[in-house]
Amino acid sequence: MPSKDMIGRELGTGSATVDAEHVAAFAKALGDDNPAYRGPGATAPLTYPIAFMTQAMAGGMETFLELGLDFMTLVHGEQEFEYVRPVRVGETLSLTGRIADVYEKTGSSGTLDFVVLETEAKDDGGKPVFYSRNVLISRRA
Amino acid sequence: MALEATSVRVGQELPPLVKGPITKEMLKAYGPAAGDPNPIHVDDEFAKNAGYPGVFAHGMLSMGFLGEFLTNAAGVGNVRKFRARFAKLTWPGDLVTCKGTVTAVRDAEGVRLVECDVWTETQTGERKVLGSATLALPR
Repeated sequence: MPSKDMIGRELGTGSATVDAEHVAAFAKALGDDNPAYRGPGATAPLTYPIAFMTQAMAGGMETFLELGLDFMTLVHGEQEFEYVRPVRVGETLSLTGRIADVYEKTGSSGTLDFVVLETEAKDDGGKPVFYSRNVLISRRA
Repeated sequence: MALEATSVRVGQELPPLVKGPITKEMLKAYGPAAGDPNPIHVDDEFAKNAGYPGVFAHGMLSMGFLGEFLTNAAGVGNVRKFRARFAKLTWPGDLVTCKGTVTAVRDAEGVRLVECDVWTETQTGERKVLGSATLALPR
């Protein structure tokens, strides 16, 4: 199970180039046909960082297992983004993730484990582009 | 864009956006596009074993709908903050309507900052994903 000792731990870093086809496929999966997400000067939809983080972060799913969460009951409880500017197709972003908080809540159906992940994305000039805060929840077996 | 700095006011409703109804095909397409391999959204047996009646929509799919809705209201590049809590599950067959209201308006350098409560609701009127956003409308 997740432990309080994990708070503050860096979750690894990663970097990737924002790919035009990846952005277009993401917008299509949302049924969002805004022309801003295609062609020259394209930017990415507001929730695209979730797809980018999964793609760019070293470790991927293994990282989630490392958190001690139960994969069978893992759900995404909350998501928060802060945008400095839109993500642009063709740019390279570097990500740094950390475990911001670990806590549990016990109710009639048992104990739920909460892990809060925070990720910062910077462009190749070192300027921040977006921040993400992600609350993951699983039921303790 | 639907919201203008000169006319936006507290209590104003954002133009609703209707998405769906949710199909299993939409869920099968969203997972790979978002890099989410969780079978709970595509495999009914897996979902049943985890204690659900069947597959349900990714919370981030609904948040994505809300993102389109906010971008329609404020314009590309004009959303500063966006948060969502996945309070209730959205199921295949659900028609999802994105709604929102303006809760505060204040001025900052060069922009009018607009706070909104946003949410998705389905055909029964039940609110599923609850969120908020800060929009920065150019003045």
